[in-house]
Amino acid sequence: MSLRTDTVPPFGRLLVANRGEIAIRVIRACRELGISPIAVHSDADADALHARMADRSERIGPPPAGESYLSIDAVIEAAHRTGAEAIHPGYGFLSENATFARAVEAAGLAFIGPPPAVLEALGNKLAARRSAADAGVPIVPGTTVALEEDLAAVDALGFPVLLKAAAGGGGRGMRRVDRAGDLAAALAAARREATAAFGDGTIYVERMVSPARHVEVQLLGDRHGGLAVLGERDCSVQRRHQKLVEESPSPAVDEPTRQALFDSARRVAGTVEFHNAATVEFLLDADGNHYFLEMNTRLQVEHGVTELVTGIDLVAWQIRVAAGERLTSSVLAPTLRGHAIEVRLYAEDPYDGFRPTAGRIGAFLMPAGPGVRVDTGTEPDSDLRSEYDPLLAKLMVHADDRPAAVARLRRALDETLIGGLQTDAGFLRWLVDDEAFASGAYDTGLVADRWRGGPPLGEDAALVALAAQAGRGVSVPVATSAAGTRAESAWGRRARQDGLRR
Amino acid sequence: MTDYDVRVDGEPVPPAAGWQLDWDDPARGVARLRNGARTIPVVVEGGGTDWHIVIHGRRVAASVRTWRERLLAEAATAAQVDAGPITVSATLPGLVVAVAVGVGDEVEEGAPLLTIEAMKMQNEVRAPRPGRVIEVSVAVGVTVATGASLLRLE
Repeated sequence: MSLRTDTVPPFGRLLVANRGEIAIRVIRACRELGISPIAVHSDADADALHARMADRSERIGPPPAGESYLSIDAVIEAAHRTGAEAIHPGYGFLSENATFARAVEAAGLAFIGPPPAVLEALGNKLAARRSAADAGVPIVPGTTVALEEDLAAVDALGFPVLLKAAAGGGGRGMRRVDRAGDLAAALAAARREATAAFGDGTIYVERMVSPARHVEVQLLGDRHGGLAVLGERDCSVQRRHQKLVEESPSPAVDEPTRQALFDSARRVAGTVEFHNAATVEFLLDADGNHYFLEMNTRLQVEHGVTELVTGIDLVAWQIRVAAGERLTSSVLAPTLRGHAIEVRLYAEDPYDGFRPTAGRIGAFLMPAGPGVRVDTGTEPDSDLRSEYDPLLAKLMVHADDRPAAVARLRRALDETLIGGLQTDAGFLRWLVDDEAFASGAYDTGLVADRWRGGPPLGEDAALVALAAQAGRGVSVPVATSAAGTRAESAWGRRARQDGLRR
Repeated sequence: MTDYDVRVDGEPVPPAAGWQLDWDDPARGVARLRNGARTIPVVVEGGGTDWHIVIHGRRVAASVRTWRERLLAEAATAAQVDAGPITVSATLPGLVVAVAVGVGDEVEEGAPLLTIEAMKMQNEVRAPRPGRVIEVSVAVGVTVATGASLLRLE
């Protein structure tokens, strides 16, 4: 039943075609709008939090995403079975798939996202690059046609260059090339990776902008021509061209640069019949020049940062504009307040090149308190699903200004405890005390230039030794022990330990 | 407690003096280190001689052995060296996307053997020691679980 009495819910039932934290995020928006949320799950997720939180969850296939979360037929059938009127794709999976969006609309359902033609036009990064240039938006110097065997155009750009997949995204099919001699091999590898990941091996090339910051602009549009520009996010802390930290506003953007970025973002959106939510990504060089990279026609992982500084619920508005509502004046002219930072907690080992880690999560304690938001689908004592994205949680903080936000982030990370496997929490805790990050004067080279393999343990080594010795003293069980014996032995151990202390 | 040999990442480290450990949730190893001036939340996981401590976000391996256990462990390590063929297993579940070696190939330590794609990343499996490939148990396109045998070296 709806808690809202002021408006009619835009839809009766909405199917969330995703999993994990983003499925939960959409379920929460549905609840607040008085919509009944329907989840989908693969066999691996039958007991997952997102499936349990929804009013109903439909099985859509076996664990591999290709046979479940990426199955267009299974998702649409689930919507029909449950009487859903709309489908929210979240991010990843089918979110930018024009074929899926068309199939949803052909099935008489509302697709919560930009129109299929927009997904198609901007899904090809190379075509989007050409349209942006035609609209007068600066693009990174490079090719505007597919890179063929003739590599003379690349030599003319000057090295290093970046090879990119036209169908790409998320860093896949991307290769940095430092010397002309490495180009042919890198091109072959990029083609192979792009073909495997996207079924399209088309590659183009951009000159490497370095040092650079990655700054993106959030757009939200209705079906009546209303377009809101909801500030920018700085996503310059990256590894493997994938984001680890995002903040808004960007410490590198002054007011003239901000207005230039917003103008370019509007121009890119103007190349298509845009509505719903999208993000226009740019590189910013050391002189404040910006270059269009790509437009993501979906909700971003880091959308919460924008929600914190604007006070606007992006997911709720995605649903409302899909139902035909107009953006209100407070959305069209938002008041930006304070500073927000998001860090992504990943099951990755930052001391070993950010390699994915595997295992069973034991302790999972997330921070709370003023100005702290945690979006997660992870629970304590659960297996990490290696079939899917290794994102464990998004930790966001909001405060009056950047120094206060950094202090709040430090406090929140100190409350965060994840057991069972290595995560990037140690990197993030290091980052908040790093001089470059703390001052705001950092760029996309931060991880490579400053983190390297991570600092030595220092005085923590002696504390680790003490904790391990104390652990052995009271014989703490492994986190993977059977649930039945765990509760019992916990009390026994506590009693024994109290006895020892007295 | 003083008769324990405590190692952190393989190096002997004397435990910090003046600190104590208080448990919050012993079942999951959640605890706090305290010295009267500072409090540091930690996770203490493990059992017997092998432990993992999460401190300041970093998960660190530690061993706590009596001197007798230390000597036994060293003897066992020595016995393992040159102990015949070894099996290279998957450390992550994923899809085999490339196999770089075949039966009969001589490989050096660190040589790439095969590539497993897991969590959007291509992970190279390398030879843990020099040897000759005597068996390849997987092929491109096969999905492997953690611990699955990939190939054997002698």
